[in-house]
Amino acid sequence: MAPVEIRGLSKRFGNVLAVDDLSFDIEAGRVTGFLGPNGAGKSTTLRALLGLIIPTAGTALFDGRNYEKLQRPSAKVGAVLEDASFHPGRSGRNHLKVLAVSGRHPLERVDLVLEAVGLTAAADRRVKGYSMGMRQRLAIAAALLGDPEVLILDEPTNGLDPPGIAWMRGMLREQADRGRAVLVSSHLLAEVAQSVDDVVVIARGKMRAHGPLEQVLGGGEGPATDVRSQDDAKLERALREAGFTVTPLPNGGLIVPGVSPTDVGVIAHDAGVYLVGLGQQTRSLEQAFFALTGEELTAE
Amino acid sequence: MSALLRAELLKLATTRTFVALVGAALALSLLVVVLVSILSDNFTEDDARDLFTADFTGMFITLLGVIGMAGEWRHRTITSTVLAAPDRIKLLSAKVISYAAAGVVLSLIVTLTIMLVGTIILSARGEVTAAPADLIDVLWRNLLIAALLGALGIGIGGVLRNQIVAIVGVLFVAFVLEPTLFGLVPEVGKFGPTGGGPGGIAQTPGFDGEEVDYLSPGIAVLVMFGWIGVFYAASAARLRGSDLV
Repeated sequence: MAPVEIRGLSKRFGNVLAVDDLSFDIEAGRVTGFLGPNGAGKSTTLRALLGLIIPTAGTALFDGRNYEKLQRPSAKVGAVLEDASFHPGRSGRNHLKVLAVSGRHPLERVDLVLEAVGLTAAADRRVKGYSMGMRQRLAIAAALLGDPEVLILDEPTNGLDPPGIAWMRGMLREQADRGRAVLVSSHLLAEVAQSVDDVVVIARGKMRAHGPLEQVLGGGEGPATDVRSQDDAKLERALREAGFTVTPLPNGGLIVPGVSPTDVGVIAHDAGVYLVGLGQQTRSLEQAFFALTGEELTAE
Repeated sequence: MSALLRAELLKLATTRTFVALVGAALALSLLVVVLVSILSDNFTEDDARDLFTADFTGMFITLLGVIGMAGEWRHRTITSTVLAAPDRIKLLSAKVISYAAAGVVLSLIVTLTIMLVGTIILSARGEVTAAPADLIDVLWRNLLIAALLGALGIGIGGVLRNQIVAIVGVLFVAFVLEPTLFGLVPEVGKFGPTGGGPGGIAQTPGFDGEEVDYLSPGIAVLVMFGWIGVFYAASAARLRGSDLV
């Protein structure tokens, strides 16, 4: 059983179907990027997952249980939502203390997570004096307070400076390496491409793609191979005889979807064709995103 | 539940609002007690007893409750609060109990202080002071009223989530609507949540010292429980059915 299972999740606000029959799992030990244009339904999905929004249909379960049925939810799931808000008159440390008490976590965890996010020096200042980046770090500290098995982060790099973004990337990887399941929504595609193992792409509330990053980048048939040879025509015949689809490129070379460079190399060897170039062709995440969501390149 | 209660009390203790309201309630109550103790003469035991019903905690703890609940929306902290405590009814119940307890603490501080100061002034002036039994009688009534109004404030704040609207609404009911109703239709006014019910529990005298036609203390407590129940139920229904977007 995956630590997070979403099945047939839908949410309607009046006449608007914000989330339409989404189903996917989040696996332990992996960082899953949750992508979609503005208004795609990402935040609604995450809030439904966390019990903040009541779904119209479907389920979102953590180890088979709704969030609100978890015994100690913050020990199971840590969440950073896009508009993390704090009482402006309360210090960062006291905010975390309140959460530690309500979540029945040892108060020692407060100092540990403050140190982990680099807020120890500012911990006793009131939150109204925090910068946006500091507030984001405080939200992350709150999410880490219960040392949760699942981390859900909605646009976690908002407000972070470049060192903060690099820190965030390292933190996500470290959490996944410790066996945590991490779901991170972001509109920063380049950032996501460097951080994630799996990708879920949605648009207009519907699932557009879900799977390992390489698979989604490679399109529906997986990665394609870009091959250049001294006799493209002969190689093309050999590849077609082997059952592959081949697309000749205008300036020479072939694109062969759904096959690895190693297999193309073997076929070329068997056909007696000398290769002058061989490599895996992948779309950039941005190209894949726009192709999957149907968004214009000017979007976001 | 105990963790939630402790968390709510910690929330109260970690902002300046509670300290400010304690200070304001104490200052106002002391001002009235000191002025009356100094400027009035020929105190009877009843006068000395009634002096200590001048605990202005009630209005402040009501407002504190309103702020404690409506403030969750104002500062958008309701999301993190519900994430930490996803059972929304349990969360609301914890808030109700916490603010009732806060009311008791607030009233205890104010009532004991005004009793001490008032008794010292009356003794120094050679006036009659309240008997210990009367002081205890006033004390438990004040504490009970503060506890009930703290709980009521949470219910009101859960129904009227706009903090400004909720505060203005409570002040309007307390200082305009209920006094007017009490003056025009006392049979109805005495059932009010901010004046009638608490007045029935305290049996506060009128301005001229005349007895007021309040409900009996027992009935007044039941009426207050009724008001709390109505606002709690409405607040619970609203909280339970809300999407926190």
